[in-house]
Amino acid sequence: MRFFKNGLKFAALVTSGVLLFPRHAYGYIDPGTGSYVFQIIIAAFVAVSFAVKIFWHKIKGFFSRLFSRKER
Amino acid sequence: MTAGRDFQPASFRDPSGFLFWHQGQLYRQVNEPYREHYEQLIASGLYRELAAAGSLIEHEECGLELARTPGACAILRPALVPFISYPYEWCFSQLKDAALLTLKIQKTALEYGMSLKDASAYNVQFVKGKPVFIDTLSFEAYPEGRPWVAYRQFCQHFLAPLALMACRDVRLNQLSKLHLDGIPLDLASRLLPARTRFKFSLLSHIHLHSRSQKRYEDKPIKTSLRNLSRFSLLALINSLESAIAGLRWQPRGSEWAEYYEHTNYSDLASDFKKKLVDEFLQLLSPRRVWDIGANTGIFSRLASARGIPTVALDIDPAAVEKNYRQCRLHGDDFLLPLVGDITNPSPGIGWANSERMSLLERGPVDTVLALALVHHLAVASNLPLAKIAALFSRLCRNLIIEFIPKSDSQVQRLLATREDIFPAYHVQGFEAEFSRFFDIERREPIAQSERILYLLRSKTAGEK
Repeated sequence: MRFFKNGLKFAALVTSGVLLFPRHAYGYIDPGTGSYVFQIIIAAFVAVSFAVKIFWHKIKGFFSRLFSRKER
Repeated sequence: MTAGRDFQPASFRDPSGFLFWHQGQLYRQVNEPYREHYEQLIASGLYRELAAAGSLIEHEECGLELARTPGACAILRPALVPFISYPYEWCFSQLKDAALLTLKIQKTALEYGMSLKDASAYNVQFVKGKPVFIDTLSFEAYPEGRPWVAYRQFCQHFLAPLALMACRDVRLNQLSKLHLDGIPLDLASRLLPARTRFKFSLLSHIHLHSRSQKRYEDKPIKTSLRNLSRFSLLALINSLESAIAGLRWQPRGSEWAEYYEHTNYSDLASDFKKKLVDEFLQLLSPRRVWDIGANTGIFSRLASARGIPTVALDIDPAAVEKNYRQCRLHGDDFLLPLVGDITNPSPGIGWANSERMSLLERGPVDTVLALALVHHLAVASNLPLAKIAALFSRLCRNLIIEFIPKSDSQVQRLLATREDIFPAYHVQGFEAEFSRFFDIERREPIAQSERILYLLRSKTAGEK
């Protein structure tokens, strides 16, 4: 159940990353239009694998906890 | 309160503030528009955490009466960096460590609700052997949803040169000297080998990134553009971190990195020379030392081991890489290995040729070590001894220099494939030219060799 909830949370986070409202970037350096656009695309993409990575660590953590409990 | 000559010429692009010199001290003025960001940096505890970890340069707040222009909200006195070095003078691992530091700082900043507004490699300096972020004004409040403004700059300043060094040729770091805002990604993409397209991190952050830049050239950002969640931003930073961490370069097969394994020095001669250099250093007790042609820093360590801030300059990136790795391994706080060619030292570059200092501007130093170097300058680079002596007189007050005569096998090797057009290259010629600028204080033949080690003191030392 916890995994399912976490999964939903990640999916929601990733989706929110892609669907948030627009805001102009500012700063004293030019982020560059192409870099700006690309960053959003690639970030959404790597966010999925990042989520999976965190998810995987949690699974591993769950089993190692289970294992150590059994050992005791 | 007007702009004067004491303004530091490297800090003028960011309106948040600037650096200036006052009575021999370096100060940073923080301007009013940056106030809320600066206050957040301090109040949030981000400054404290980064400074305590040695990641960000420490500073003290001073009175506003020192302000150089109207509109100042704070005056800071940052800790001084002993020697300013530039990314085109760093070896592979130095640039890699600087890149990883920048990303680590960005991650910590996000935890405190802030973000780096630039990711210039020039914001990092090496202090006590470790990279330190020196621009206190690079932090800004992070509103959820905003992409990283410095993403392009990070890729150009760090990822592109590191990828080129690791995957194509380590010497390509020199491109950073031509491109002050980092290596253009289209250029990096063209220069990188085709196999890098099969590596996701380089395919995305360099090749596809560069394509996107081309595609959106001269197009404004559409208002319908979506923003980036905090989670996605963290994922992006992590992706960049693993891209950098995945780039590796091993120093081998270069001309100098194995020098000490191939010299004609006997162990006795080498030990004798070390002892002599150490004795000269003790005699001089210099405040700063530059070792020119330092190779992997064997002799530089004689100075740094005495707690003297020492720059070990060498033309070979592999030797510098080995030197830096050794410094990191042994925690050498006083040695800074750098890539540099004394026959073509780093010039003053950037706006008005003064944004990045030339090597000579960063001197003179108390003492220069020039061991097994003069024959390379005179014979391999055709530099007359008079010119060599004149340059050293500009670089230092005291000079520990080795003369290697023509009869030595190392010089014979240099002359093997060329005509000997150096009739003036002999010990008398050497002493005559150097005596125009220096007094010969010691002249010690090195045991079991034909070489001579000199301790020279500048005739005009008081003026430097």
